Amino acid sequence: MKEALMNTMRKRIEELRALPGVGEKSIKEVLEENGFTRRDFLKWSAALAMTLGLPASFAPVVAEAAEVSDRLPVVWLHLAECTGCSESLIRSDAPTIDDLIFNYINLQYHDTLMAAAGWQAEENYEEALKKFAGRFILCVEGGVPTKDGGEYLTIGAHAETGLEKLKRSADKAAAIIAVGTCSSFGGVQAAYPNPTGTVGISKVLNKPVINVPGCPPSAKNIVGTIVYYILFGALPAVDNFNRPKFAYGLRIHDLCERRGHFDAGEFVEQFGDTGAENGFCLYKVGCKGPYTFNNCSRERFNQHTSWPVQAGHGCIGCSEPDFWDAMAPYEEPLANHKFMSVNADAVADKVGLTLLTVAGVAIAAHAALSAIKNPKE
Amino acid sequence: MKINEKIITKIEGEAKLKVYGEEIIDFVEIEFYNFRGIENYLVNRHYMDALVINPRVCGICGHSHLLATARAIEDAFNIKPSKKAQILREITTGLEIIQNHIKWFYITFMPEIIKDKSKMLKAISIASYASKIIALIAGQFPHNSYIIPGGVTCDLTNLEILKIEDMLKILKEQIIKEIIDESGYSKDLEIFFENVDKNIGKGINRFLVLGNNFYFKNNGELELVKEEKKNVFYDDKFFEVGPLSRNLENEVVKMIYKKYQDSVYSRVFARLYEMVLIIEYLLKIIKEIDICEENYIKHVPKNSKGVSVIEAPRGSLIHRIEIENEKIKKYDIIVPTQFNLSSYTKENPSPAQAALINERIENINIVFKCFDICSVCFTH
Ligand code: SF4
Ligand code: SF4
Repeated sequence: MKEALMNTMRKRIEELRALPGVGEKSIKEVLEENGFTRRDFLKWSAALAMTLGLPASFAPVVAEAAEVSDRLPVVWLHLAECTGCSESLIRSDAPTIDDLIFNYINLQYHDTLMAAAGWQAEENYEEALKKFAGRFILCVEGGVPTKDGGEYLTIGAHAETGLEKLKRSADKAAAIIAVGTCSSFGGVQAAYPNPTGTVGISKVLNKPVINVPGCPPSAKNIVGTIVYYILFGALPAVDNFNRPKFAYGLRIHDLCERRGHFDAGEFVEQFGDTGAENGFCLYKVGCKGPYTFNNCSRERFNQHTSWPVQAGHGCIGCSEPDFWDAMAPYEEPLANHKFMSVNADAVADKVGLTLLTVAGVAIAAHAALSAIKNPKE
Repeated sequence: MKINEKIITKIEGEAKLKVYGEEIIDFVEIEFYNFRGIENYLVNRHYMDALVINPRVCGICGHSHLLATARAIEDAFNIKPSKKAQILREITTGLEIIQNHIKWFYITFMPEIIKDKSKMLKAISIASYASKIIALIAGQFPHNSYIIPGGVTCDLTNLEILKIEDMLKILKEQIIKEIIDESGYSKDLEIFFENVDKNIGKGINRFLVLGNNFYFKNNGELELVKEEKKNVFYDDKFFEVGPLSRNLENEVVKMIYKKYQDSVYSRVFARLYEMVLIIEYLLKIIKEIDICEENYIKHVPKNSKGVSVIEAPRGSLIHRIEIENEKIKKYDIIVPTQFNLSSYTKENPSPAQAALINERIENINIVFKCFDICSVCFTH
């Protein structure tokens, strides 16, 4: 079984190796230039293999996949967004191996980063679509405004709408990855009353889209998804919101460092109280960790430095669909209906949707929550 | 007369310039044409929701939007956070400015002339170090929510504060060694201007500072700010906001200004030199933290209005909130880019228009970009 799997991957890597790449140098040279050794690279590969749920013995194959990763170039498209995703992904953490590999396989066409990779213009985007038709990976950042024919977002000299450009690019892509909550589910633009009619890109495409939500998402999850695609020629297993299971399989709550306090019924009742000083659980000040599937508590941010819960603010549920409406108010427990803040009718179905899907998995947590909450109230 | 349309990219988002004139720019209109409508989503939500939504106006300066939001709510409810909380906020927002300036110079601006990837990588690694210090206090960068009305959510130990101080020192050393030193000498800046005239891009020579966070001193009244469509006037005139405006009191910046007035060179210089001034300021205030003070002071909501103005990476940022029954009735944001990049008439041009008028067309990118444009902020 393991042998067979390994052979499929090797075969795929061989096929890719035969294709011309976009990188001028090999990944080996790029890493060396930046002071990483072969050993660092293998360590990185082993960690990524683990993230992807592969046995440790797959590390060398993952390394090989990274080496041929420039055969499937990534083309990057910006729609309606805040650019926080790219900010988080490429600029804040560089240069780790993730970033270098990321840079290596793409970014030639990433608007705000074009400077970093070669200062190309719009024409290069078109050239890339043509040259790599059928084999590039399309990463989309930002949601797509659809109201009034999408005129709230136009790109480039011909004032093409974001919607048109997305469809046209997706047609030629081998795989499509929605980077961030905006692109996956519409994001902040799509919050009620959604003045521009923004939706996640999967809503307007008739091809499979893999969602890597988060606001912003972590670089590991993006790189992981891309490397997976390179390894298998297929997108990874996903949950019912099309999120890769390897990253979004567990809830924030499952691996949270404050979990012990949750279980013991020790809560921060309000910001700044003794509970906060003692690092108690943030559920009662609005933590949405129990409803949120992501790996922040494990992977952290900014080179593994910290994450919101560590800094004393609850998880806001940013990788869940419609979290802007479904998880609000952000500083109150979801159960606290008195604060249902937005136009409740308009978002009731959204709330229901999000919670329903969680219910199946999180039922135990709900039970635990009510068990702990009642005696205290 | 010939009219040229020029799309400026490689800023955060893109802008369209309608240029009148052939070799020399006779007049120019500036257009940003994406719309997201952030202020609309805020209406009818709980006022605390603004803390999570507003940073998403912009992934580059979202932390300043977070601070402005918290301060607008504090103004509405009359809350005064402890000195400790205020210092921590200054540290994280100051670091945001620093990492913004580094990235702006090396990723957006410098490649217009100097295409050297190694410089860019060096810059990115210094900027990530700054982000890392923010993450220690705030949990992550960008897009954290650790500032709340009444204070901050984190509870740092003495040891952590010492560690942050050490990291600030290292950051300062890196900035001074690699980017710009205390005397104002920057090798990279001089390389950039080797073949570029330091006198191009003179604007309207009127400067405005509305915020008084950090060491900045405001020189204007909020009441005189007026927004008309997307154009922003002060006392019915345009004013330049940003690093040059707010650092003119500093001797080193003043010297450069005397020599080059409000040219591209002065703006870029002020932006770079501001990093040194801010980090020195942060190193000073971190010593004043009293660990025993409150992180957070509880408040009682009431029906009220609040306003805040702070100095953000690109200049003065204004937030206005109206709260009724704990819900947001109205929210209004004015971003610095609106002050600098308004699009008005030839007789009464905005700072960026004035800087472009009478310049040679080939300098258009440099002159336009020296304002550090953020179209995602502009189109919030
Ligand atoms: S998902 Fe969040 S960080 Fe990414 S573009 Fe949207 S608002 Fe910005
Ligand atoms: S509710 Fe939030 S803070 Fe508490 S244990 Fe779960 S994830 Fe952690």
